[in-house]
Amino acid sequence: MDSLRIEQAAAAWLARREGDHWNPAQAAALEQWLAADTAHRVAFLRLRSAWEQAGRLKALGAGLPRGRVPPRGQWDAAWPALEAASAVDAPGPRARVDAALAGVRFRPREQAPPAVGGRQRLAGIVALAGLFALAIGASRQAEVPPASFHSALGEVVPVTLNDGSDAVLGSDSRIEVRLSPRRRAIALTRGEAIFDVARDPQRPFVVEAGERQVVAVGTRFSVRRDGAQVQVVVTEGTVRLEPVAGGSSLPSALLPAGSVALAGPDGVSVLSPGVEAATRRLAWRDGDLSFEDLPLAEALAEFNRYNPRPLELADPSLATLRVGGSFRWSEPERFVDLVEQLFPVRAERRPDRVLLHRR
Amino acid sequence: MPSVLDAWFVSEILVHEASLAAYLRRCWPRPDELHDLRQEVYVRVYEAAGKTLPSMPKSFLFATARHLMTDRLRRARVVRIDPVGDPDAWNVLVDECSPERWCGGRQVLARLARALDRLPDRCREVVWLRRVEELSQKEVAVRMGISEKTVEKHLAKGMRLLAAQFHGEDGLPAAVDHHTTGRRMRQGLGPDGQPED
Repeated sequence: MDSLRIEQAAAAWLARREGDHWNPAQAAALEQWLAADTAHRVAFLRLRSAWEQAGRLKALGAGLPRGRVPPRGQWDAAWPALEAASAVDAPGPRARVDAALAGVRFRPREQAPPAVGGRQRLAGIVALAGLFALAIGASRQAEVPPASFHSALGEVVPVTLNDGSDAVLGSDSRIEVRLSPRRRAIALTRGEAIFDVARDPQRPFVVEAGERQVVAVGTRFSVRRDGAQVQVVVTEGTVRLEPVAGGSSLPSALLPAGSVALAGPDGVSVLSPGVEAATRRLAWRDGDLSFEDLPLAEALAEFNRYNPRPLELADPSLATLRVGGSFRWSEPERFVDLVEQLFPVRAERRPDRVLLHRR
Repeated sequence: MPSVLDAWFVSEILVHEASLAAYLRRCWPRPDELHDLRQEVYVRVYEAAGKTLPSMPKSFLFATARHLMTDRLRRARVVRIDPVGDPDAWNVLVDECSPERWCGGRQVLARLARALDRLPDRCREVVWLRRVEELSQKEVAVRMGISEKTVEKHLAKGMRLLAAQFHGEDGLPAAVDHHTTGRRMRQGLGPDGQPED
């Protein structure tokens, strides 16, 4: 395995560097080796940092006769308290960590903050807040400069955001990302995107789409804009769909995993097709379009999101034919061929578009 | 060579190795690929951080791991290898994953002492004489009656085994009997096939 060989090479370098015969020529050769491949560098850093820490072992040698390697096991007896204090080192850490992990999943944030009872309760909450600050505060920077990502027509673009969340942009889409210590604000200015949100209870993840916004803590969902309409598909966790701050008095809705919401100017309708069906709606990420009993006009509109040469109905009466199945969105011609075979349809293939006529 | 990025990588990424290893082990069904997987995660994180430093390194680390597994899974599917892993199980609540930060000095020392004790005899001897007593390579060679080259080899092996213990990937239960430890160490020596002398 390659990574093992690299680790061995890194250890050989480090041992040589620690040795008696290190010289500038070797140092230059090491620099060259490190620069040749990031894998070399990370392997070396990993060994070097542990070796630097190992210098602390000198504390064990204090007071012992020089030149004699002490027998094993005598430190353990010296510090039984440390055994207990250090959870990482305690017996069977792996089993315990695994057990702790087994039940862990993204969970939606509690909606209402707990009512504060007495002093003790308050103290507990303050302490908890302190812990969070410790866990997260150390690494968080004040504010990350805003960034924007976009995809061209016919492109699906995966993006890792600075907070560890993933986004996948659908065809012809654009998001603007603004991360601050209080909030992760994403504006979907066009198209469609799937979000896989890194959990951070202190910073809600808010996707704005026109008049609506979708609020999540750690979950997976997609948001899509079609004119004034916003579609939200939730495949994991729960999100809240609400009007943008200071917006109109549009109702807000809580959407659990497996729901599909359509929000228009007049209100929100929520379907609950289940997680599996909701996930199918995001198949575009892997290059597929999955239809179930969909009117032909809508199926064509889906293909047209991805392709510059639109498929159009020359005869409006065809619009209500219903289609189903999985198709590659990059292959509209194959879809048209199938439609011609299965329906009384004839395709007229023009350079700039494909027109479907009734046969 | 010490750069800001390197320091960041050590203090913000490597400290999570125990969590990362547990996560990969839980999600990925092929143990023989874990080492490789971990390295590639590190490479991706280091390269991404060279462009912009992630504001939440731990989340970024785990997101990168998840991406990598997804990529590998996808590649595997193309050639019809058995489906592996359960992508749904990959969404770990990162903040609750496990204890990680290197703790105070005394705890680090206790951990290092234990790591030292798990080294094979000759290797442990070399590490002790070089790192603790700070004898020169030549002095160690003379004292142990082996060549300087062999001292260096033992040292390199000790560095690898110590790192595995220290970063937590190889967190063996403390109450492991000596026989098992020895065998494991020999496995650790692995493909380089260097004889122990």
